[in-house]
Amino acid sequence: MNEKQGFKFFAVFLNMTWFALFVLAPGLMVVGISFLTRDISTFFAWPLTLDHYRELVDPVYAKVLKNSLVYSFNTTLLCLGIGYPFAWFLSRAPGHRRPLLLMMVIIPFWTSSLIRTYALVILMKANGIINTVLLAAGLVSEPVSMLYTDAAVYVGLVYSLLPFMILPLYAVLEKMDIRLMEAARDLGAGSFQVFIHVVLPLSLPGVMAGCIMVFLPAMGLFYIPDLLGGAKTMLVGNFIKNQFLTAGNWPFGSAASVFLLLLMVVMLGIYFFISTRFNRSQES
Amino acid sequence: MKKWIVILCLLLVPALASAGDRTLFVYNWTEYMPDEVLTAFEEKTGINVVYSTYDSNESMYAKVKLTQGKGYDVVFPSTYFVHKMRKEGLLSPIDHASLANFKHLDPVLLDKPYDPGNTYSIPYVWGSTALAFNRDQVAPEKMQSWKDLWRPEFKNRLVMNDDVREVLGVGLIINGFSVNDTDPDHIRMAYESIRSLMPNIRVFSGDSPKQPLLNLEAWAGMVWNGEAYMAAQDFPAIQYAYPEEGAIFWVDSMVIPKEARNKKEALAFIDFILEPENALLVCEYIGYAPANRTAVGMMPEELKNNPTIFPDPEDVKKGEFQTDVGDAILVYERYWERLKTGM
Repeated sequence: MNEKQGFKFFAVFLNMTWFALFVLAPGLMVVGISFLTRDISTFFAWPLTLDHYRELVDPVYAKVLKNSLVYSFNTTLLCLGIGYPFAWFLSRAPGHRRPLLLMMVIIPFWTSSLIRTYALVILMKANGIINTVLLAAGLVSEPVSMLYTDAAVYVGLVYSLLPFMILPLYAVLEKMDIRLMEAARDLGAGSFQVFIHVVLPLSLPGVMAGCIMVFLPAMGLFYIPDLLGGAKTMLVGNFIKNQFLTAGNWPFGSAASVFLLLLMVVMLGIYFFISTRFNRSQES
Repeated sequence: MKKWIVILCLLLVPALASAGDRTLFVYNWTEYMPDEVLTAFEEKTGINVVYSTYDSNESMYAKVKLTQGKGYDVVFPSTYFVHKMRKEGLLSPIDHASLANFKHLDPVLLDKPYDPGNTYSIPYVWGSTALAFNRDQVAPEKMQSWKDLWRPEFKNRLVMNDDVREVLGVGLIINGFSVNDTDPDHIRMAYESIRSLMPNIRVFSGDSPKQPLLNLEAWAGMVWNGEAYMAAQDFPAIQYAYPEEGAIFWVDSMVIPKEARNKKEALAFIDFILEPENALLVCEYIGYAPANRTAVGMMPEELKNNPTIFPDPEDVKKGEFQTDVGDAILVYERYWERLKTGM
């Protein structure tokens, strides 16, 4: 084994061990616990049961899931609407300016998103920065109600997740051959037609990747709706947390986690199915 | 490669440096102890304090339970969790003879059913959950009863604790039941009452219910007395009121988990907190009443007469202490989910 191979083995081994210990093992434990029975003093106990999966079939939980899906779906659409033009202009910016612009997208990531969420509270509260400015400028006579509304939740979610949309879109748009667009124009296509028939189909893998990368984390960021929306709606994340902590019902919380996991696997499956078909149709 | 070794070594230095010293792991509620007290303890005893915090009894309990308390030396559960943890054998008995300052404790708060003889717990502070409001927007006579929360002028203007027991507890109180009721029918009635309150609730605050009041987002609501005290320090228009039906009271105690590694240091810490000067410092900072009679005697008049910290004995009599509801928590949680999904 030469040094290079040794390093390769080491790197792969380290990663695999890490994932096995801290991702796979806890995940399997959650799956296991979901089939056990609630116990007030040991959290879970024998016998095995499917009751918790049966309990999940309840209109209340369907509503919890729907709330989460609606937030995630709308956030994804908003990110796409804002992120696509942004990524387009970023990819068309002069080469020497692009690193700077990309940096500006990434820099907010250097701070914890929880802290950035608190910063949004300071901006939006009734006696916060935005309202102070609006009142001082005489544009409004009463503070505008921004915090603890749905709009505030979307501001928070889009703000936190936008880079996950921009970066994959930028990656595909930057690689796109400019000559294809020129050819389309030469053949008489207008700007709109160029976009619909050339740019959009070519950027579809980026769109899909961006949507997945926004949609899935949006399901889990329950602290943003809690802090900015006032915790009035229960989302999947709150629900699981409450089952584990308040109700002490670990098996039920685990069953809900497993269900969420399966849902995400299905969505990823659809993504891979579409993208492989797309790649094949590109090749032919 | 060499660079990495150097960095690794640098990272190890602090770990080695502290290996010889005595250490104490304290696990407490957020904003529940001033830094000065911790620093003073470190200076006096030479024991390093590693301080971490939690925001609910439940999350504290889950951690202590899973490790049998290995890794924590002093923890601050509320009454009904002392009861639960004691029953489950998670706590280590506390030798009163080694606490020179035990005599300062208020006998009224000792020897309660949740821990007879205080074998396992030493009371730290006590407080209440009641009404708070902003006098700029709300006249005091409009905040006298829990029922006042339902006033139509508070539409979208209330803050409530994000706590299933306390919120449904208010529903139980206004229906004439105990906050510790375990009857599913009574809990359902409480849920129906709170559901009709939802249009008035602007925010459920899990971390700090004083913030929406300070932000002017909420005009009134349900908060802990210490939060109201701290808010009034910054913003005197915020006032605390004990509702006529009675407030919800609690006591938080200091306990030593069974498997704690530094029990001697833990005892030294508890004794230090029981020193009247330190109990006084704690009270001034967090705004909860110390369980320490001598400390209360030493307080300046304005603090002693602050009704936010020290309620009228009449108000205490009307109020109720929370206890463990056992498996009924599942019923509470069920209705909580319905409340928050609008069903």
